[in-house]
Amino acid sequence: MSKSKQDRYEQIKRFEADLTKCMKCGFCTFWCPVYQEERLEPSVARGKNMMIRGLLAGELDYTKEYADRLNKCTLCMACTANCPSKANIPNVIVAARADTVKARGLKFPYNIIYRWLLPRRTLFGWVVRFASWFQGIFLPRTEGTIRHLSMFLSALGKGRNIPQIAPKFLRQMVSVVNKPPEGVKTTMTVGYFTGCMTDFVLPELGKHIIDFLNRNGVEVIVPQEQGCCGAPVFLGAGDFDTGRKMADSNVRAFEGVDYVVSDCATCTSALKDYPKFLADTPQREEAYAKFAGKVLDISQFLVDVLKLPASAYKPSAEAKGKKVTWHDPCHLNRHLGITSQPRQIIKSIPDIEYVEMPNADRCCGMAGSFSMYYYDLSKQIADKKVESIKSTGADIVASSCPGCEIQLIDSLLRNKVPVKVMHIMELLE
Amino acid sequence: MLEKKLISELHKIVGKDAVLISKEDLNAYSYDGTATWTHMPDVVVLPTTAEQVSQILKLADESKIPVTPRGAGTNVSGGSIPIKGGIVLCTTRMNKILDINKTNLTATVEPGVILQDFNIALAKQGLFYPPDPQSFLGCTIGGTVAENAGGPYCVKYGVTKQYVLGLEVVLANGYIMKLGGVTVKNRTGYELAMLFTGSEGTLGVITKITLRLLPMPPANKTMMAVFDDMAVGGQAVSNIMASGVVPAKIEFVDNFILRRVEEMTPMGLPVEAKALLLIQADGSPAAVEAESKQIVDILQKSGAKNIKVAKDANEAAMYWKMRSAGFAATFGAAHTVMAEDVAVPRDKLAEFIRKLDEISARTGFFISYLGHAGDGNLHPSIFTDMRNKEEFARAQKAMEEIFEAALLVGGVLSGEHGIGLEKQRFLKRAMDPVALNLMRKIKTLLDPNHILNPGKIWEEERV
Repeated sequence: MSKSKQDRYEQIKRFEADLTKCMKCGFCTFWCPVYQEERLEPSVARGKNMMIRGLLAGELDYTKEYADRLNKCTLCMACTANCPSKANIPNVIVAARADTVKARGLKFPYNIIYRWLLPRRTLFGWVVRFASWFQGIFLPRTEGTIRHLSMFLSALGKGRNIPQIAPKFLRQMVSVVNKPPEGVKTTMTVGYFTGCMTDFVLPELGKHIIDFLNRNGVEVIVPQEQGCCGAPVFLGAGDFDTGRKMADSNVRAFEGVDYVVSDCATCTSALKDYPKFLADTPQREEAYAKFAGKVLDISQFLVDVLKLPASAYKPSAEAKGKKVTWHDPCHLNRHLGITSQPRQIIKSIPDIEYVEMPNADRCCGMAGSFSMYYYDLSKQIADKKVESIKSTGADIVASSCPGCEIQLIDSLLRNKVPVKVMHIMELLE
Repeated sequence: MLEKKLISELHKIVGKDAVLISKEDLNAYSYDGTATWTHMPDVVVLPTTAEQVSQILKLADESKIPVTPRGAGTNVSGGSIPIKGGIVLCTTRMNKILDINKTNLTATVEPGVILQDFNIALAKQGLFYPPDPQSFLGCTIGGTVAENAGGPYCVKYGVTKQYVLGLEVVLANGYIMKLGGVTVKNRTGYELAMLFTGSEGTLGVITKITLRLLPMPPANKTMMAVFDDMAVGGQAVSNIMASGVVPAKIEFVDNFILRRVEEMTPMGLPVEAKALLLIQADGSPAAVEAESKQIVDILQKSGAKNIKVAKDANEAAMYWKMRSAGFAATFGAAHTVMAEDVAVPRDKLAEFIRKLDEISARTGFFISYLGHAGDGNLHPSIFTDMRNKEEFARAQKAMEEIFEAALLVGGVLSGEHGIGLEKQRFLKRAMDPVALNLMRKIKTLLDPNHILNPGKIWEEERV
């Protein structure tokens, strides 16, 4: 049975206002990291928007080329932030990805990874563990390395640094309820959304964050039922059906807490995007909106909710006496508008010299599955970031998105720039 | 299979990666900044050298295939739309700044350099290139030369043609021709570089440009004046120009745009103002101080209701952002926006504005306008809906009346956007027939097979 036209463009239609707002001025070309490298009109928001309009007009179809041009976007939002008519083309792109998946399905091996593996956290953990044995055999181990986990299997053999899997996952290291130590009064209780990277690759970071919050009077709940935020599934691949399953289980996992704190900008932003992209029923709309309202980035939580005094921020041994610069993750800066909080924290730390890098908010080129499909392009975008970092003379570049951090480590190593990449929380004692 | 053979020839010239043939890619080169026109090319090529451009043109000339040169496609005249199909020759990958000479005050660039990238590079050395079309974030320098573009700075500093010293142009037959040089003075033969400046891609493909530069003015000051009546504001502009002061920019925004901008980005603008003038003085600190005093004085005497002098660079930047968002604000206002580009003599500005009000009252179309009041260049816009054929026809008629009114006071059809597709219907009325004929002869002389940007500037001969 053939689907009606309305159905074929179901998600795009929801963002038709953004689609029509574009008046083709082309200002987005200046801000688009992909266009800056490729200098091709199909790379930039205006071109993609016109391509989607072409699809709706029946001039174009769900072809391989169409899917490729849609995928070639980091969703960094630089176009929208600088758009005179405020057209949010990334919205339309995500929606168009969803309609493409509906129309054409997902290809192997992504169907297995996105539909079957990512929603099953424990199994996923085992596969990751299993794969890590091969990683030891096939790839040289480099310090503190690399690459997004959802692309883990296909990342093998592409000649890049991929993450070293931690010997013990965070969920195996900490309990569900983590109370402040004796003598510290509990002032607040939060849920901690650990994210795949922190759980599987950086469990020490997770442990450190729990300790820090505990020491400052915050009880931390780490629900075992939480899973992947779904960013690679519904934002990257456009698989909204699987995205809903993941969203539902995350919403359930954090039902009892008032705040959900995350150390990953991408996760935070994706969790907050549930109502926008995934709410298909009034029930989901309500549940997702309520959940999204509870989600906070860690720096935002410390500064805006917990309102820690400057004296609470002391340098870690690794950061003490060092010059530190800040990389704005796109998901933190343009997606969530969080720019001052992390800077305020870093500037509050004694014995650390803060230096602002030029174009601190420019995309690093990671963008999850984007860096897998277009690794060379991703590297070119990252090289511009490396130049910015280098120009500051900083010892450490801090961020709060494990995705960005992976990209920065990979790019700095590749360019032989001896700057250490750290999560903002690792700067703190 | 001519087409297949052509594609493989193009592959040989520029490499496979620089030849686009998929429907999805061709779609992306079928439009520009205008609302009305689109047409798909058959192939897009992205050369990186003049030699490649030469080989592409030779090939196209031999096979009589249309070639539409294109930069970033930010133009608003339909100029870069491949209305006859064929090849789109896109220069965005020819984007090297070849030389910036601080002592000679010149720069040489490839055509695909983005104007804003160029401005940033110059600013690092304290240098200044004034022509500032408001698409500066996207437009290529090659495009601004081909369109002879201008912007707010042109009141004091002139348009692109005042800065072009030398060009390298590839002719339709593939010959790579050098014109002009790197000197400010050059009286060697005809000013052929000027022929290609503003030629809208119909005479050749520009592959190298040498531009005259200025030192960055050390100081500037922005003033904002509010008026109850547009025509009174227009008269104030004429009064300033007659007083001996030449501000760097004098821009004009009407109440409609003011409200739209304030809606989009609230910044505390005086939304009750009927008309608003934005004026910038620049130069040495002492001169800026003296000139802005004089300007404020004239504004007061000319009947400004309220005058504000920006306290600092931030406040000034806020006002100018409002101005650059203005054009976009018009475009978002209706399904079809016909935004025009007439220019009238500066002393006829008030008279022309009254004419616009008359036309608006008579035709029933609301006419919004903003523009470069200081050089008499206004962008009157009519809001309509193409899908409503009857209304659209009446809107076109109203626009014709605007053109007629501009011509009647000694104005021109296009101040800075060019003729392209948008204004060719009116060209015959706006030019001396002998001059028009001479232009056609020049076109045929340089491009006998009419492969370069065919369908532009002239209306097709009706058989």
